[in-house]
Amino acid sequence: MNTIAPVFCTIVPPHVLDKLAQAEDPRLSGPARRTLEVDSAHRTRRRITGLRAVASPTAAATGNPHRTIHDCEHRTALPGKKVRGEGDEPGRDATVNRAYSGLGATFELLLSAYGRDSLDGAGLPLVASVHYDEGYANAFWDGDQMVFGDGDGEVFLDFTLPVDVIGHELSHGLTQYTANLDYQGQSGALNESVSDVFGSLVKQYTLDQTADRADWLIGAGLLAPGVSGEALRSMKAPGTAYDDDVLGKDPQPATMDDFVRTSQDNGGVHINSGIPNHAFYLLAVELGGKAWERAGQLWFDVLTGGELAADAQFTDFARLTVAAARARFGDGAELEAVTKAWSQVGVPTA
Amino acid sequence: MRIQVRRTGGFAGIERRAEIETSGLRDAGDWRELAERAMADGADTPSAGVPDGYHYVITFDDDRTVHCADPGLTDAQRALISRVLKEGA
Ligand SMILES: [Zn+2]
Repeated sequence: MNTIAPVFCTIVPPHVLDKLAQAEDPRLSGPARRTLEVDSAHRTRRRITGLRAVASPTAAATGNPHRTIHDCEHRTALPGKKVRGEGDEPGRDATVNRAYSGLGATFELLLSAYGRDSLDGAGLPLVASVHYDEGYANAFWDGDQMVFGDGDGEVFLDFTLPVDVIGHELSHGLTQYTANLDYQGQSGALNESVSDVFGSLVKQYTLDQTADRADWLIGAGLLAPGVSGEALRSMKAPGTAYDDDVLGKDPQPATMDDFVRTSQDNGGVHINSGIPNHAFYLLAVELGGKAWERAGQLWFDVLTGGELAADAQFTDFARLTVAAARARFGDGAELEAVTKAWSQVGVPTA
Repeated sequence: MRIQVRRTGGFAGIERRAEIETSGLRDAGDWRELAERAMADGADTPSAGVPDGYHYVITFDDDRTVHCADPGLTDAQRALISRVLKEGA
């Protein structure tokens, strides 16, 4: 798929080519711009020269991504043929290029906002496979890597299109290396919600959006033209993302009053995630500003803090976010906002 | 042979079902051969699967039920599932 010689002159540094490749796609020209704007001179220089990170005064803020993209060529053997490694210039396959830059955006959020060097905190290489199977309308994390299908073209488009979907899959890796929430019932819904939260934060970070400007959608741009819906999930208004003849209606609840009991989908992990998703949204909007800074920090603190049990329930997670708010910000607006957010979705914190 | 497929989970968490009655079809023999291979490798109980991976339940003649999940499908399971979802109703 990606064996054709790159159309761009290779004298231009790879990261610049990356931006050029992305610029054709309006959904990704934002991320490219964001990356260019926010990179400190130090880190930009590192990326251009491809040097390994040198220990800096803020020890946490080191590290470079180690990305590899594979092409399954519409078969199902993983990982498939390697088509792009770290620092390689983009090829003609937009799917490969999107996966590569989405991995980079997620890596960059973790590093710059939270000082975490990749998913495991120790520079874990990031691996993704694209063009999985024929018309495969899904993406998943297999425990070691991300896998993306092209979509069926009728209901779902290419799963690499929304950067929040890429961030979502990678965040399953982050959860696996930290709290390792059981993918079942409420802990499974928390696992899903953490992925939606950081997936959305990756998108907001790449667009440099404040909480009030963000769309808070998961999978915007993924539904084919003609499908009645704007995305797969809405953190702002769970249950309203789609209402379609083929897909049915978005089943997500926003509050505990509408918690769904089901044996399907590992106990409704993609359904009840709407409740903690909405709590995060309420917190972020109440605090204002960039959601990855304070609200995201609290969620990151809980996920990585070592106290969140693998079988945690919503109330366990909620209580830990309150404790994290107190520990990090004292008895301020953050504490009040996080307590209020959980209360609004019906999850007790006391 | 009546073959039912139920797919759950996935990134979207949207369930899909389809079934086909193969008796009388011109390629009923092919269906039976594929079904038997898919059945032989299926598990009796659901596995944990992977985050956002699909889970599949395949039922044959309302009698035998097997479970499988992405990405661990055998070729026969994958072929059967995609045929039923495509050609079934
Ligand atoms: Zn997920």
